[in-house]
Amino acid sequence: MKTTLSFADEISNMMYATGTRGLNSCIQCATCSATCPAADAMDHTPRRLIAMINAGLKDEVLASNTFWTCASCYACSERCPKEIKPSELMYALKRYSIWKNRTRGKLVGPDFSRRFVRTIMRNGKSYEPGYAPAFVFEGGLRGLVREMRFALRLMGKRRIALLPSRVKRLENFRRMLSRIMPLEGIA
Amino acid sequence: MSERKRLMIIDDDPEYVAATRAVLEGAGYETDVAYNPREGLAALRARRHDLLLLDLLMGRGAEGVTVARVIRADAALKKLPILVVTGLRTQLASIFPRRAVHADDIPLDDLVEKPVTPEALLERVAALLHPAATAQPVS
Repeated sequence: MKTTLSFADEISNMMYATGTRGLNSCIQCATCSATCPAADAMDHTPRRLIAMINAGLKDEVLASNTFWTCASCYACSERCPKEIKPSELMYALKRYSIWKNRTRGKLVGPDFSRRFVRTIMRNGKSYEPGYAPAFVFEGGLRGLVREMRFALRLMGKRRIALLPSRVKRLENFRRMLSRIMPLEGIA
Repeated sequence: MSERKRLMIIDDDPEYVAATRAVLEGAGYETDVAYNPREGLAALRARRHDLLLLDLLMGRGAEGVTVARVIRADAALKKLPILVVTGLRTQLASIFPRRAVHADDIPLDDLVEKPVTPEALLERVAALLHPAATAQPVS
């Protein structure tokens, strides 16, 4: 039994139920990086991030935008020859950075994730305009106008709703949530 | 203490585990540790324990809740006292501010929220290990 845990051990523990073969089985083939559609926007590619975790570069990993940039397309997990499931690693790193309060400033992802979870808890389904405050001011006034015009066009085509709607029998949904997330007031 | 009690800790936070072990072993208890639910359940099945200290938020969510349910459904383990020690509320404060941990759906014997003082932890552990002694103080 280990008495001290490395950073890689901590992340592996968060991934224990994902079916991964373990970060230490990575052969650095870079299939994940080559197949990732979001790699260009990442400051470290998935391959490099795994190497950094295994090397114990905790601060550098947590300061990275890689896991918040992940689009969750699962292409890397499909193609990884060692079944490491890098997309699950990205989720584990998001949870870890929120848990340890190490989310990097100026990133949209953490705020977006919190708004998403709150919206789902409240309505039982997604409501896209509710996430807008997480990113709509990023491009300044010009960006705000651009996003609003885009949102109006989407609304005109009924792709997003003006007001949030809720699932039927919301109380059943909330009771279900309270079974998996035991916090008062959710049910 | 005539026979040293053996406690199991299942928690994914190595800093909390190290501190808790020091407190419990300093008080004369034997401790085993697992850092994820799967290893924890395997360790509980491999050796008899007198008490489980269980974290809630592990893995992909509140998987400690599942561990508690599995234990209560297991013929060999269902009488094992469970002390839930959780930072659930503080960990999720950025998403659900001001919500208290709601223990109705978790099969547990006692619940304490992190951070917990060594004295409070030892008191809860002793109460679960020796319920009669703590319920009726010796005169």
